[in-house]
Amino acid sequence: MEEVIRQQYSEKEKLNIFNKEFMPHINSMYNFAYRLTLDADDSKDLLQDTYLKAFRFIDSFQQGTNAKAWLFRILKNSFINDYRKKSKEPSKIDYQEVETFYNSEDVDRQITPDLRVEALQDMIGDEISVALNSLDVDFRTVIILCDLEGFKYEEMAKILDIPIGTVRSRLHRARNLLKEKLSEYAKKMGYKNA
Amino acid sequence: MSNLSDEQGQRRKQDCPNKQECFELLQLILDGEATAEQKEKFTREHLEDCMPCYRNYHLEVAIRELLRSKCTGSAPQELIDDIKRKVVQNLAH
Repeated sequence: MEEVIRQQYSEKEKLNIFNKEFMPHINSMYNFAYRLTLDADDSKDLLQDTYLKAFRFIDSFQQGTNAKAWLFRILKNSFINDYRKKSKEPSKIDYQEVETFYNSEDVDRQITPDLRVEALQDMIGDEISVALNSLDVDFRTVIILCDLEGFKYEEMAKILDIPIGTVRSRLHRARNLLKEKLSEYAKKMGYKNA
Repeated sequence: MSNLSDEQGQRRKQDCPNKQECFELLQLILDGEATAEQKEKFTREHLEDCMPCYRNYHLEVAIRELLRSKCTGSAPQELIDDIKRKVVQNLAH
C-alpha cells in the first residue's frame, strides 16, 4: 500500500466528501457486503461498520482519488477481520492447488463447458445469483469486483492486496467454476448438451 | 458483432488450436484490459474464422449481462438513513 498522506478536512468538508463521494456507492457496497456475508443482518452491519469506519478515517482519503475502490477495500478488510471468522465459509482456498490446476492439462476440459447462450436466456429466475453465491468467497469476490462493479485489474489488486497476475488467474478460474454451475442448471432445465 | 448466418457458420473452423490462449485473450478484451492491437487482431482475424471462440465470445457476453441484471441490488432506505444519521451524530461528538 502506498504511503498515506493525511489530510485535515474541516467538518463541513468531511460531510461534503461523505455525501458526495461515499454515499453514491452505497448500493454497490451493500451488494458487495451481502454477497460476501450471504446474510441479511450481517450485510447491514458490515455496511454500516464500513461507512462509519470510512468516516472516521476520512483524513486518509485523498479527494480526487478513487473513492469507490477505497471504500471497497475497507469493506473487504472489515469482512476478513470481523465477519469471515464467524461465517460458515469453508477454510481458505489453497492457491497452490489452484495454480497447479490452472497449469494442468485438465484445464482444457474446464474452458468451455458446453453451455449455450439459449440456456442462459432461459435463466430468468435466481439461478445466476445462486450460482455466484455458491462459489468460494475469493472466487465470488473477483467476479463481483470485475463483472458487476467494473473495477480494472490494477484496482482489484489494490483492493484485495494481491498481485495482478493472481487477479487474472483467480478470475479465470472463477469464471470457469461459474460456467460449470450454470451448466448444471441448464442440464436440469432440459438442455441435454448444456 | 454480427449475428451468425449459416453461411458464416459453415466457413468457420469447428475446432480452435489455441483454446486456452484465446479464452484468456477474450477475457482481457471483455474486461477492457487488452491493447487496441490485441483486440483488433482477435476480433477481426480470429473470431470471424473460429466457431468455438465465436460461441465463447457470445457466451461470455451473455453471462456478464445476466450477472449485471440479476446480481445487483439496492441498500434498504432505512439503512441508508441510519448510516447518515450516525455520521452526523459522530460529527457532533
